[in-house]
Amino acid sequence: MIEVNNLHKSFKVGKNTVKALDGLSFQAKDGEITGILGPNGAGKTTCLRTLYGLLTADEGSVKVDGFNALEEPLAVRKQLGIFPDKFGLYERLTAFEQVDYFASIHGMQGKDKNVAIEQIFKDLEMEELMHRKTLGFSQGQRMKVTLAQALVHQPKNFVLDEPTRGLDVMSTRVLRNHLAKFKAKGHCILFSSHVMQEVAALCDRVIIVANGKLAAEGTPQELCDLAGEKLLEDAFVKLIGSDEGVAA
Amino acid sequence: MIQFKALLLKEYKEAFRDRRALMVAMMMAVMAPVMIFALSKTMIKELVETPPIYVKVTGAEFAPKLIEQFKDENILLFSNIPNDDKKLWDERNVEISIPESFAKDMVAGETIDIILRTDYSDKAMSAPIRRIKNEIRNYAQGIGYKRLLVRGVDIRLLKPVNLIEQDTAIPSSNAVFISMMLGLYLLMAAFMSGLSVAIDSSAGERERNVLEMLLCQPVSTLKIVVAKLSCASTIAIIGVVLTLVLTSFSVGFVDLTKIGATFSLDAFTIAALIILLIPICFFASALQLFVSFQAKSFKEAQSTVSMIIMLPAMIPVALMFIDDKPKWLDWLPVSGQSLLMEDLFKGLPVDWFLVMATSFVTVTITIALVMILSIRLKSEKVVLALS
Repeated sequence: MIEVNNLHKSFKVGKNTVKALDGLSFQAKDGEITGILGPNGAGKTTCLRTLYGLLTADEGSVKVDGFNALEEPLAVRKQLGIFPDKFGLYERLTAFEQVDYFASIHGMQGKDKNVAIEQIFKDLEMEELMHRKTLGFSQGQRMKVTLAQALVHQPKNFVLDEPTRGLDVMSTRVLRNHLAKFKAKGHCILFSSHVMQEVAALCDRVIIVANGKLAAEGTPQELCDLAGEKLLEDAFVKLIGSDEGVAA
Repeated sequence: MIQFKALLLKEYKEAFRDRRALMVAMMMAVMAPVMIFALSKTMIKELVETPPIYVKVTGAEFAPKLIEQFKDENILLFSNIPNDDKKLWDERNVEISIPESFAKDMVAGETIDIILRTDYSDKAMSAPIRRIKNEIRNYAQGIGYKRLLVRGVDIRLLKPVNLIEQDTAIPSSNAVFISMMLGLYLLMAAFMSGLSVAIDSSAGERERNVLEMLLCQPVSTLKIVVAKLSCASTIAIIGVVLTLVLTSFSVGFVDLTKIGATFSLDAFTIAALIILLIPICFFASALQLFVSFQAKSFKEAQSTVSMIIMLPAMIPVALMFIDDKPKWLDWLPVSGQSLLMEDLFKGLPVDWFLVMATSFVTVTITIALVMILSIRLKSEKVVLALS
């Protein structure tokens, strides 16, 4: 369960102050896939970085399973599986070693760890990549390895920043099925994307962020109804376009 | 512990798999012994051997005994020169003119003018000129003494003062030069060997976007920094040990005692040097990580860190120019180790208290750097610089 409460954050760029978050609040509940939508520069990544404890909010709080991200960032990170917006691989390690590294950082060891790693490679259908060095991997293969390392320790909460960019259709489906499985098991999944069909198909609830504020919140259908549009994409454009947004 | 083990293992795997960077790091270690071997070899040759000198003598037939004495000291007539050396000595053109009246003036007890003509500014000629001058002086002195003896005069009268020289510097200046080179090389090895690993695992990881991933994980920044430091310093220590072992092997082929060197790279000296240099390896790597973690890009890190390498090169040289060294120099990193190494090479007993003191100061500064760095890595500034 992820709770974001009245989050404020500004950055100083030279003499100007840029307000990245302006009182953003939302919840991502267990057993649900929550989509987070917003135009570029809306504050999604800043919000997620505050969630990981990398940035300190000026005001407000972020809680993950009851732990406050500002006070106990390590405890919060233990509850999370993170797929960040920017990621890289250790190119001199094999895919297995890379996932093994992150599993160990999450405290896994021995046989359990090996079983978990083998399982995640199998689940994401990437067993053939297992013992290859990651140097020269395609974008999709790199994404898969990063996903595997985010999911290997079966975290209670997933935070995935555009996890399907660069994936082929088959891999996207594999990921979707995988997320659905975790959702059924009661995990909390926070998911940001720019692909509207995907959000519409996958998410139970959608949060629309614009100008660092919550613009609208609801199921995809509710949002369409709210905006009076048939397609989520049109609804999204309409909702972020209105200055006041639709108070949710 | 599981976390730290994983962090450390990953750093080692990455470092040892980057063969090219590792090769460059170990270049230092391979170059040092070769340089020191070549340097000592040429120095000994110049100082100890008396290579033949070929002189164009006019009037050699007038002073056969002088020519004989020259011959004993390997100063030979140009007419006897082998073809290989002909061009060289023709260019050097050392001329000695012996006057026709040599024998007559000798009998009459007149002063005889022998002319030595050559290019005195040619550095390569300084040793041959010295030898020729010495030989002529010895010859003249010998005859002078004999003349006095024949006249019943005690030749001690010619020496009212006898200067006895006692050199307190144990090794000769040439040996000091060689050992200073080795000292400098060892410090450079400590700073250079871990360099590429330090930059790659900090600024490199930032540029490859893996640092942000790592900072999002439930692991303290202190553990991250210590793991990276351990890896870079291990490579630095390997570099230093390899330099020492290879140098001791290569120095074994040169007889340094010929030029007055009293130091030898025996097991004790090697052990003492390693004990002295291990803290420096950690210090160097910590400094490099500190700087390159805060650089905005890999390139910036490279250029800033290469400034740090000047440190081991500059400090020992600067120390040479300070006659009255302040006490605190003994304690500081790099300067303390440099002074202690100098003592070690001079064959002086090791001041273990100073070794402990300078190691303590070095380790303390290293720990401070690590702590500050681990706090810095938590700051927003570092995270913002990621994007």
